[in-house]
Amino acid sequence: MTTALALASLLIGLAWLALAKDTHWQQVTSTRLTRRRRSLLRGLGATALAAAFALALAGDHPSIAVLVWFMGAAAGSLAVAAVLAFRPGWLAPLAGPRSA
Amino acid sequence: MFPTLRLTMSWLHTWAGLVLGFLLFVVFFFGSLSVFDREIDRWAIPATRFAPQPMPSYDALLAPAFARITPDADDLAAARSRADGDLSAPLPVMDFSAYTTHRDPVLTLYKSFALPEPHVPGDHIHGHVTLDPRDGSVLPEGQRAIGSGFFYPMHYGLHIEWRGLGYWLVGLAALAMLVALVSGVVIHRRLLREFFTFRPGKGGQRSLLDLHNLTGVVALPFHFLFALSGLVIFAAIYFPAGTTLLRPLADADAQRVAAAAGLPFAPAGRPATLASVDAMVAEAQRRWAANGRAGDVGFLFVNHVGDANATVSIYRAGTDRVALTGDGIHFRGTTGDVLRVDPPQAAPGRINEFLTGLHLQHFRHWLLRFLYFTGGLAGCACIATGLVFFVNKRRAAAGTVATPGLRLAEVVAIGTVTGTIVAALAMLVGNRLLPPDLPARAAIEEGVFWAAWALAFGHAAWRLRRSGDALAARRAWRDQAATIATLAMLAVAANAASTGDHLLRTIGAGYWPVAGVDLVLLGTALVAALTARRLAGLPLAARSAASQGDVRFAPDGIAR
Repeated sequence: MTTALALASLLIGLAWLALAKDTHWQQVTSTRLTRRRRSLLRGLGATALAAAFALALAGDHPSIAVLVWFMGAAAGSLAVAAVLAFRPGWLAPLAGPRSA
Repeated sequence: MFPTLRLTMSWLHTWAGLVLGFLLFVVFFFGSLSVFDREIDRWAIPATRFAPQPMPSYDALLAPAFARITPDADDLAAARSRADGDLSAPLPVMDFSAYTTHRDPVLTLYKSFALPEPHVPGDHIHGHVTLDPRDGSVLPEGQRAIGSGFFYPMHYGLHIEWRGLGYWLVGLAALAMLVALVSGVVIHRRLLREFFTFRPGKGGQRSLLDLHNLTGVVALPFHFLFALSGLVIFAAIYFPAGTTLLRPLADADAQRVAAAAGLPFAPAGRPATLASVDAMVAEAQRRWAANGRAGDVGFLFVNHVGDANATVSIYRAGTDRVALTGDGIHFRGTTGDVLRVDPPQAAPGRINEFLTGLHLQHFRHWLLRFLYFTGGLAGCACIATGLVFFVNKRRAAAGTVATPGLRLAEVVAIGTVTGTIVAALAMLVGNRLLPPDLPARAAIEEGVFWAAWALAFGHAAWRLRRSGDALAARRAWRDQAATIATLAMLAVAANAASTGDHLLRTIGAGYWPVAGVDLVLLGTALVAALTARRLAGLPLAARSAASQGDVRFAPDGIAR
């Protein structure tokens, strides 16, 4: 269960990090990314990735948790790239309210 | 040789990738299949479709089974030139071993026999049997465990046994992988900015390059660590100092280690009987549990069999951690007294244990297993897109008619990428269609594999016989993709027809080893069919315009 949560946290964190890039932000929201929003997304992304590592550690022996995190990040990045390529709108809920 | 580092690295990436990329694809593809080697074994040998079993009783089951093992005929024949003594007489027994994991329903036992008057001291040969741990019955040897017995050795040795050449080629490919990864990172201009970038809509070369970069970059730690740990696992083959130049030193060290551990290095020469090994296993498990590490036996080793100096070593299965096995406890064979408890390893040993364990993955973690499979397939996609990108780029530069060298590269690319998959699937189909009691069944299955692969190469060469133009190449790719789709569906149908274990039944019963293989086969069929349809439907003009329009080549020749 904690491992599944770790994977979910990884996915959301990676999606936030992707949104913090101008081109992907525009793909998803069709607006310009403000500097403040970028910092916020990066912070959220990094926090989610760190939380994912903590969750992975809670679920498995540390030697396995490290592998779960790195491999989950690889598969998660592929998934985020695929969503951005084919269904970018799916990431809109993670972009937050229209203006902030 | 080039004015900038980036250009030098670009050259290196291109040529190391092209020359060894074909080999690397084969290694990655069979490596990915090896992640599920045990499951493929179950699919291929229906008699072994039952639940995994723990290590059975030594005293009741293993001891009589070990006693009956004779030297493998191939091993014995190969040893004739390595010893002067009489090989037809019963050979002295050196050791017994048995290894199992949480995914093994059947257990393979190994026995070593000393060669009489060997040319190299200590030279020995092996014998083995595979048994059903539930009742100790021995499984017939005629059947090939395709996953662990064919695909897995293909991954690390290519089945080229002459002078161990296969190991060296795979090692060279792993080295090329490391080179390609480092040089690839240097020549990638927007590694972070385009980390999540895949633009399928842009078509042709741009999409290919995106996919190449994406699959290479996101799984970079995986690719790097697997190439590196693969080299570490076979370090003793690539740097055989311990068995060649430094042999006296290595032997002296082994004796020193054995002496320090209190374990006899050599037999005493006096026969003796073994005490109850089951009692030793119980003691080992009691000690593991007392240390908060309760677990099953992963590896059992009896050294100096039948001698007064016999020892029994029992290792805990590394089911819940990365290391394969560990927490070894060693017993005096004649009495069952504990001789030694392995202390925690020092740092180099633990690094080696981690690298080996993460590569060979015998732990119980299905999520991680699927993530490894995904990483392996990402590696395959990265290598395949790299090869296709190279060929397309050269063709665009050469005009409509390809040079012989380019045509060769394209034929080899098709035969390697789709041809490898065709061969593996043909072997699975053959496995399910051949009669079960056919003599030399394993050899025929292998024949099907190699013949299908040769046919795939032949087909690609035939398609590109007159010109290496884009249309001919695309037809070749399309034909083979369609073949993959057909064979994958045929394999699922053949499994259902020959064993009655169709998907409804296996999923209903929760028997995932076979259901999983069937589901992956169906997924393969779907992806291959979609690919074949797309390749058939796309008008050539639009495709070549797209393929040449979007990637801009800077004066330095690097694609942007």
